[in-house]
Amino acid sequence: MANQSIPDTPLFDRNGSIRGYRINKMAMSLGQAANREAFKADEEAYLDRFGLTEEEKKAVMSRDWHEMVRLGGNLFFILKISAIDPTPITRIGAAQAGMSHEDFLYHRLGKRAAHG
Amino acid sequence: MAKIIGGLGTSHVPSIGVALDKGLCDTPDWKPFFDGYEAGKEWVREAKPDIAVVVFNDHGNTFFLDRVPTFAVGVADSYNPADEGWGPRAIPPFEGATEFAWHFVDKLVERHFDPLVCREIEVDHGMQVPMELFFGRPEKWPVKVVPIWVNTIQYPIPTPQRCWDMGKVLREAIESWPTDERVVILGTGGLSHQLQGARAGFINQDADRAWLDGIAANPEHYRNMTREDYVEQFGSEGAELIMWLVMRAAMNEKVDLVHKHYYAPASMTGAGMVVLENAA
Ligand SMILES: [Fe+2]
Repeated sequence: MANQSIPDTPLFDRNGSIRGYRINKMAMSLGQAANREAFKADEEAYLDRFGLTEEEKKAVMSRDWHEMVRLGGNLFFILKISAIDPTPITRIGAAQAGMSHEDFLYHRLGKRAAHG
Repeated sequence: MAKIIGGLGTSHVPSIGVALDKGLCDTPDWKPFFDGYEAGKEWVREAKPDIAVVVFNDHGNTFFLDRVPTFAVGVADSYNPADEGWGPRAIPPFEGATEFAWHFVDKLVERHFDPLVCREIEVDHGMQVPMELFFGRPEKWPVKVVPIWVNTIQYPIPTPQRCWDMGKVLREAIESWPTDERVVILGTGGLSHQLQGARAGFINQDADRAWLDGIAANPEHYRNMTREDYVEQFGSEGAELIMWLVMRAAMNEKVDLVHKHYYAPASMTGAGMVVLENAA
């Protein structure tokens, strides 16, 4: 399948899978409680264990969701990073869309304002 | 012989599980969503299935990118819920319909499918949430399960036609299984959503509503769509709707749409369900 056929819609193909392997492998490991503790105790050391590049480390440590995906991170793996903080998925969505959280909720997801 | 008593289609959004865990079902965000499932639960209680075949995808919880099966079938005695980063959820393990699952694997290979066959594996929200939506939160699940995993994460994902073909083999396996067990098939995933890219948050309510009717009355239309069509209409992650085709293909050409429910947004997703029964 061609990757860029639908605007603003990256598909997780072989390029993303190859490029994002380290980030995704690190994120996958956070499905285990002991690894979550190690991540929380020393995030940078934990990322080094998985051989993340400086660019990848920066994206993870600053919780730059847009950048993590650009570097090949797949949402389903990196959600395990968000579980540690925790960051709601709608905030990650807003970061992808380049919108404020409020705008994202109301304009993209069509939620009604709480005090409408 | 065993019998297909119905086909269920449903979303499997992880936030649904969180809402159940945190007791949020009666909050304004969630109540209309859960209320719509009551009819489906009631149907399941009366239909009394013995086996639930659940078609879903793993979400980076059980399969990593080191090995990605296009289709996998569980033949385990039991399946524990996977820890998805939030700690294990307080739901009971699922008992496997081991013997029927092996029979299904035999049929698949006879019919030229090549599944990964799994004897020890956990199941993520893709299976947990549909089971909770239709069976509630019992101390012990009242059915045995057969998990079928479909890769919808890493491209190439299977074609809609291939999912359809698998459903035909599933039907053949059920109808050649020499017990009087009652089988319900759950096709899960969707409806429209997109989690990645600048189009994140994309929801297509019109396409979702058309899907819920169309999957019953006009599945040919959806079988003939390309994967690109799915991504375009339902979003990059909404393309997991192809998994409903496994369930639909196992049913009769004509079905009755017994129950239907739609709600959006559930978290970032158009969400809903159908209950289908075979028509004469
Ligand atoms: Fe899914």
